[in-house]
Amino acid sequence: MSVLMISILLALAGAVLFTLIGLVSGTDETAIMVPFTLLVILLGAPPEAVFSFFMAAVLSKHLTHAIPTALMGVPGDTTAVPLIDHASALRRLGLPHVALRKMLSGGLIGAFIALPTAVLFGQFLGQFADFFKASSGLIFTLAAILIAYFSKGKWVSVLMIIPFAFFIKSIGTYSFSLTEKNLSISFFLGIAIGPMFSDILISLSSSARKSLVRSQAKEYHLAPENKSWKGFFPNPFRVLTARQTAHTAATSFVSSLTFAFSPVGMTSLMGEIVSSRNKGVYKKSTSSLATMNGVTESTYIAETVIPLLAFGIPLSPVALGPASPLFNAPPVFTSDPVNNLHNMLTPWDFFLYGLIGLLIATVIAYPFAMNYARTATVFVMKHISQEAIVGMFIGLVCLLAFHEAQLVGVMLTLIMATVGGLLNRVLGVSSGVQFMVFYGSTYMMAKLLGA
Amino acid sequence: MKTEAVVREKTASSTSQEYIEILGDTVVPSRLLLSVIISIVASLGCYFLGKAIFPAIASEKMVPSYSLLLGIGGSLVALVINARFFTPSRVLTEAETSSEGFEEILLDLQADPKEEYDLIKNDPVTRKEVEELGILETIKRSGGK
Repeated sequence: MSVLMISILLALAGAVLFTLIGLVSGTDETAIMVPFTLLVILLGAPPEAVFSFFMAAVLSKHLTHAIPTALMGVPGDTTAVPLIDHASALRRLGLPHVALRKMLSGGLIGAFIALPTAVLFGQFLGQFADFFKASSGLIFTLAAILIAYFSKGKWVSVLMIIPFAFFIKSIGTYSFSLTEKNLSISFFLGIAIGPMFSDILISLSSSARKSLVRSQAKEYHLAPENKSWKGFFPNPFRVLTARQTAHTAATSFVSSLTFAFSPVGMTSLMGEIVSSRNKGVYKKSTSSLATMNGVTESTYIAETVIPLLAFGIPLSPVALGPASPLFNAPPVFTSDPVNNLHNMLTPWDFFLYGLIGLLIATVIAYPFAMNYARTATVFVMKHISQEAIVGMFIGLVCLLAFHEAQLVGVMLTLIMATVGGLLNRVLGVSSGVQFMVFYGSTYMMAKLLGA
Repeated sequence: MKTEAVVREKTASSTSQEYIEILGDTVVPSRLLLSVIISIVASLGCYFLGKAIFPAIASEKMVPSYSLLLGIGGSLVALVINARFFTPSRVLTEAETSSEGFEEILLDLQADPKEEYDLIKNDPVTRKEVEELGILETIKRSGGK
């Protein structure tokens, strides 16, 4: 099979899979993207196809996670949190379908603007790549401090950087002595599922569980069906007004260039800017939703493409989280020394295979979300329990960790998930900080302890 | 229009059932544990099975990949089994379009219904959009006094 065919097939698989996953509200991108992307890489897919898969997955998930956000007022995932207020306003006015359509159309426009912008900008930044690669340890350390300060934990996150690095190096060294391998997938998975895992642990602890106990099952209020367009594939440019299209395009373009900031932060910022330029509840909400969903999409794509194309080391929140396997998935990809998509794909490849991913996601997720949003939501809510979903992820993670280093890998993942998860849940040290510390730990310990 | 409590827990002691909130949704602790165990057993079980049978039928370098694939298959089977065994404990309520009037909601959102109507009325693009949605009249009633 040719590389092109494999890319198309994998993009299809990614689009279908993540269209369905997006329907499950509250799913954390890192916990979901990392295991599946790792699987595709470890199964031996060519780098082009891995990239197509990833792009299709990201866009599909972002399109369909607008469904729980608009129809139930529950954030589809962390990036959807800033959209909740506007979506709820429209939902209460009986217009959830309008919210959904505006979000979907904005997301599509954002994605197709971000890809070429990111490829061009990444190429431009590529001339500084040597400097970045040579001083990557220092950059990661500084970035860890910066991200830590801006995370929920603020000072405690900054304070935990060095001890956490010491902890990572310690368990890494011990695992190395047992397996002769420098483990990294197990570390990643542990950090990724930390929040989910710590919830499970807390629920098992008779002293701590009080905070999670609920006497009633969670209630969801679903808006009624309301379809008001003809055909199967509504034109996104007709769904948005010309002004909304312009706003979405401009904010998506700008946010494609800011690859070092958090997607959620950029989304809130751009949403505020557009919101302030519109008057009236209806116009404010619809314009902001289109823009914000466009911006989440463009930051996601740009934060993946720019560091990959320019440096080959993960230097953005998305590259550290959901996209981390594209940088580092030993033995296939490594980021130290750089041997990943950065060396394997040309800028033209990035554009072409990224476009394949985006187009396939558009063909699958967009009409699906436009036409079957409600039916699909009801199916998931009625038939797929949270127990089954959480179970599947823990199962997948154990499988991957075992695949990397047998029982040692599983042990490492679980202890990492425990420590990382509790740091995250209790102290507010975000996964981004933890990933950064993981990357910078070798440098920090070498400088501090001469290790 | 109201169908309350579509999905209900079928436990013997449905009144005193304790739930735990995980990743923003409620689960029954014992079921979650069972679900995790079933899933781990299924995915790792299939992985070992692959390690055992594939060397006989596939080339050596593909064995790890195929075994991994079989493991994923196992975890998907576990998902289906768990979804059948453990029905969701969510309560799904189909809300009516709006039990409260347009006007009250706008006021609650700290907006002035009249101003809202004027803004939409005086902007041809938005006006057309709202007309196509068939809610212009509603907005007019709430703010066009």
